[in-house]
Amino acid sequence: MFPSFLAAFLLFIQAPECHPEHSEGSDTLKAAMVSSISGSIIVPQRITSGELKSASSLSEAVRRFAGVQLRDYGGVGGLKTVNVRSLGSEHTGVFIDGIQVDNAQNMQVDLGRFSLFGLNSVSLFSGQKVAPLQSAKEYSSASSLYLESADPVFKDGKRDNFFLRATGGSFKTVSPSAVWEHLLRGGSKLRLSAEALSSDGRYRFHVKDFRQYPDGTVAGYDTTMIRSNSDITSSRVEAMLFSPASGVASWNIHAYFYGSGRGLPGPVYKKAGEYPLSEDRQTDRDAFLQGKYYRDLGDVWSVAGRAKFSFSHLEYTDFPENLPRSLSGPSTPLRGRPARYNYRNHSAYLSATAMARIGGSLKVNLAQDCQYDYLDSDLRAFAYPGRFSSWSCASVIFGKDSFEASASALYLGVRDSFISGNDRSSAFRSAFMPSLVFRWKPAERFTLNGFAKRSFRMPTFNDLYYTTVGTKTLDPEDAIQLDLGAVWSLWSEPSNHLTLKVETYWNQLKNKIIAVPTSNQFRWSMYNLGRVEVLGADLTAEYSKKSGTVELGLIGRYTFQRSRDKSDKEALTWNGQIPYIPLHSGSVNLFGEHGGWRLDLTAFMTGERFTTSANLPAYRLSPWTTLDAALSKNLSIARNDLTLKLCLNNLLNEQYEIVDNYPMPGFNFMLGMEYFF
Amino acid sequence: MNRFALLVFSVAALAVATGCQKDETTSRDADLAGVNVAVGEKGGSFSKLFVLNEGNFQKNNSTLDFLRFSDGNYVSDAFGSMNPAVVQGLGDTGNDLALNDGKLWLVMNGSGYVHVLDAKDETLVASVAVPDPRFIAFDSGHAYVSSYAGAIYGGDEKKGKVFRIDLKTYKIDGEIEVGCQPEGVAVAGGVLYVANSGGYNYVHENTVSVIDLGTFKVMGNMEVASNLHYMVTDSKGRIWVSSYGESSWSQDDAGNWVQSMSEPMGLYMATYLSIPKTVQAVKDVHVSCMVMAGQYIYAIGNAAEMTGGYDNTLYKVSLTDSSVTATSLSKTDAAKVGNPYGICVNIESGDIYIADADYTGPGKVWCFTKDLKKKWVAVAGMLPAHMVIY
Repeated sequence: MFPSFLAAFLLFIQAPECHPEHSEGSDTLKAAMVSSISGSIIVPQRITSGELKSASSLSEAVRRFAGVQLRDYGGVGGLKTVNVRSLGSEHTGVFIDGIQVDNAQNMQVDLGRFSLFGLNSVSLFSGQKVAPLQSAKEYSSASSLYLESADPVFKDGKRDNFFLRATGGSFKTVSPSAVWEHLLRGGSKLRLSAEALSSDGRYRFHVKDFRQYPDGTVAGYDTTMIRSNSDITSSRVEAMLFSPASGVASWNIHAYFYGSGRGLPGPVYKKAGEYPLSEDRQTDRDAFLQGKYYRDLGDVWSVAGRAKFSFSHLEYTDFPENLPRSLSGPSTPLRGRPARYNYRNHSAYLSATAMARIGGSLKVNLAQDCQYDYLDSDLRAFAYPGRFSSWSCASVIFGKDSFEASASALYLGVRDSFISGNDRSSAFRSAFMPSLVFRWKPAERFTLNGFAKRSFRMPTFNDLYYTTVGTKTLDPEDAIQLDLGAVWSLWSEPSNHLTLKVETYWNQLKNKIIAVPTSNQFRWSMYNLGRVEVLGADLTAEYSKKSGTVELGLIGRYTFQRSRDKSDKEALTWNGQIPYIPLHSGSVNLFGEHGGWRLDLTAFMTGERFTTSANLPAYRLSPWTTLDAALSKNLSIARNDLTLKLCLNNLLNEQYEIVDNYPMPGFNFMLGMEYFF
Repeated sequence: MNRFALLVFSVAALAVATGCQKDETTSRDADLAGVNVAVGEKGGSFSKLFVLNEGNFQKNNSTLDFLRFSDGNYVSDAFGSMNPAVVQGLGDTGNDLALNDGKLWLVMNGSGYVHVLDAKDETLVASVAVPDPRFIAFDSGHAYVSSYAGAIYGGDEKKGKVFRIDLKTYKIDGEIEVGCQPEGVAVAGGVLYVANSGGYNYVHENTVSVIDLGTFKVMGNMEVASNLHYMVTDSKGRIWVSSYGESSWSQDDAGNWVQSMSEPMGLYMATYLSIPKTVQAVKDVHVSCMVMAGQYIYAIGNAAEMTGGYDNTLYKVSLTDSSVTATSLSKTDAAKVGNPYGICVNIESGDIYIADADYTGPGKVWCFTKDLKKKWVAVAGMLPAHMVIY
């Protein structure tokens, strides 16, 4: 029996706080709206409000997921992207409230640009998310990261909510933010929020190298340097409008603006003269307007529509290098003017979805999405590429008793138009992406799940059209994923809770897009060459115990990933572990709550890695472990909530690098205050 | 984990090692273990083949290797092993390697240093800061280093420089402006020749700057060919200079990049002090890398590059009559060389060493007889490119 989607929606907004493993029907807003039976078949890894509070940033929260490698260039302003199961960050879609954040230029979505504040949950779907009324684009990534905003809740007949927050700490970081939620007369809800950030991003780090000689002596160096030109100022302003809770349709509209200016400190390498190594700057202006609309049409059909317009402008300023002071003295100044490059990315997206409920156990979901992207730049001989993409998807969702399964077929057609020579030419690429997902609950506390999926990552504008480097005939990267997992809830009382989760997987990535020399070795270009085979396992254990007002919990996550380079049998790289993927990695989170206090201790561990698939000692990156602590206290002052929070990051002052030559900060702290009235 | 203590200890250990030196005839680097790649290799009167690995851009992983002829061992990162306390090692992007009077000169383009090493044991003698250094040449009292001098791609058109380093003090004692983005430099008869590329300009340079070393003033500029690169001078004072070529690129329907040449690429011979001045193209020589050895210039290039194909070819150009012998590598043991990035020749045995740069991992150094029969191959560092025999 299917309750009407509206009823479920009402249910959802009244009970938005769900424990991850008990909320299978509400993985996303949409799932919650339409279904309490199917929801998403794949239960995502999920971090909800409680644990989110203990994270100091979104990227710090995301790296807790099993199977994930966070690529972090260090510092407050350093690029942070997420790589799931060794497929590369371009294969991970990032979705805000179910609509994808795009970057047609290079497909890198910087997690550093999103705030945890105002988020209800962060979910990672490895493989295929299957939820009713899902858009076609949501079927297209190898894995997806979902950021879900909290729905405004007005308690005790209030019509206005105010949140004020201020955080600050190391690197001279200061970040104030404010949110105003208002219940409009017709029942619609408005949220306006603003956040600003300023940080000089400077921190000390060690550069060291020691070597041992056959006679046992050890020699080397260890020196301290300061990361500089790593400052950032940014601001974000958002407006969201939510539909009234009662009504035949539900919808929301989201307007977003982000602006930032930052220094690009660059990699650390030996340089004559004084630091900074780089004085390059980047400014960004991103804006989007997106909306969703859901409606039930009788007992059988439901429909949804989505639209998004976005614009982003990136200006990159390349300064001539900082010359040794001894040489820029009396003679003519060596320093020239900087070079500036501008990139403007425009995109428009439309999606229509219809779902039919057939009988008691079958749903059919049909979706059609279209998008247009255009990139403008002032690079020499630029190709001015435009791209029209169309995603068509049909899926069936079957659910009966303890068994659920879904099969989907997605067809993606992409037509590019670009300037080649004096003419405008075009190129067409297409991909067929099938997926199969199941979940079976043979016993009350035991669930089996699995999926098989083939997905393609279209070449980016940079891969294809970057002046003199891009290759216009590239094929998409081809990812095949097979996954089998199990969840076992040993104890499931609220007072005593233990869940074990195992995911095993085999992935193959073919036609990897990499840069290699052309027939003229002074010119490099992009080719489809590489192949990678991944064999992996993610283990998660979650334990919590409640006794009176005290709650204790432990979450452990471990990832094994053997990711082998299968590109060239003759090469030294054959069968080597691919760059930056550790064989072993994991995290442990321990927390305790009592009387408004919450303490979190989180440890991250990453095993040895290599910077090339030729796994020789010279290219080894050391393993690292960091330990973070977060302490927060909730107070009630005149029926208003005040939360104080202290985050101590990298307590052991571990000196480590996630990306070679981009040192991460040592010990740092953040102090925060949040007031809700 | 107490590395500070280790550092103090290691500096002390090093000092001890230096103090109790073995007898003078044994090089201190004799203890460095390597991988045996060449059993029974004889270098004649040479003791080592030095290999400078360029390293990846801004990765600070340029390294110096050598093959020791006495035992056929290939030693990786000899500089790091012999100078462990030098912070950040050699540095970034080694762009040229030269031997002068028992000293090894390493031109580090990314780091902005020219390092001077004792060729006998790779110990660091001096590091001279030179902005954007590219190539090096010597006369009896000075080293001359070409420099982009702060130019950037997409920025203002900016002239390059040549910096003059005193061989006794290892200090810069002069600088002179030349063309844009100067590359190869060579000295002959009291004159310094500088190959200007103008690689960052919309219109490339096509001149060689000529500098009188007596006055350290520019005597003049000579038009040779567009986008100049490597340069050597011979005993007759003639200049041999290669060009990157002048081309536009487009993709054919299969997606291959195809060059359309507006000026031929290759090798040129020029004289400046003669009357009249001469410029002469050496026909059909494609130069990816080149070296002068004995009475020949050896170069390797892709003979099929105009059509987007691959036909790596060894060119042997006679200095006596400019005749060219071209041998396609595909018909020899050297067919396995993927991406020839540097060449060196043993003038006693005629052996040819080829540095083979891989684009995803460490490269290789190959040794072939003069008939291109394989003798040995060793795993080098990232992008091995420059070699000298000592």
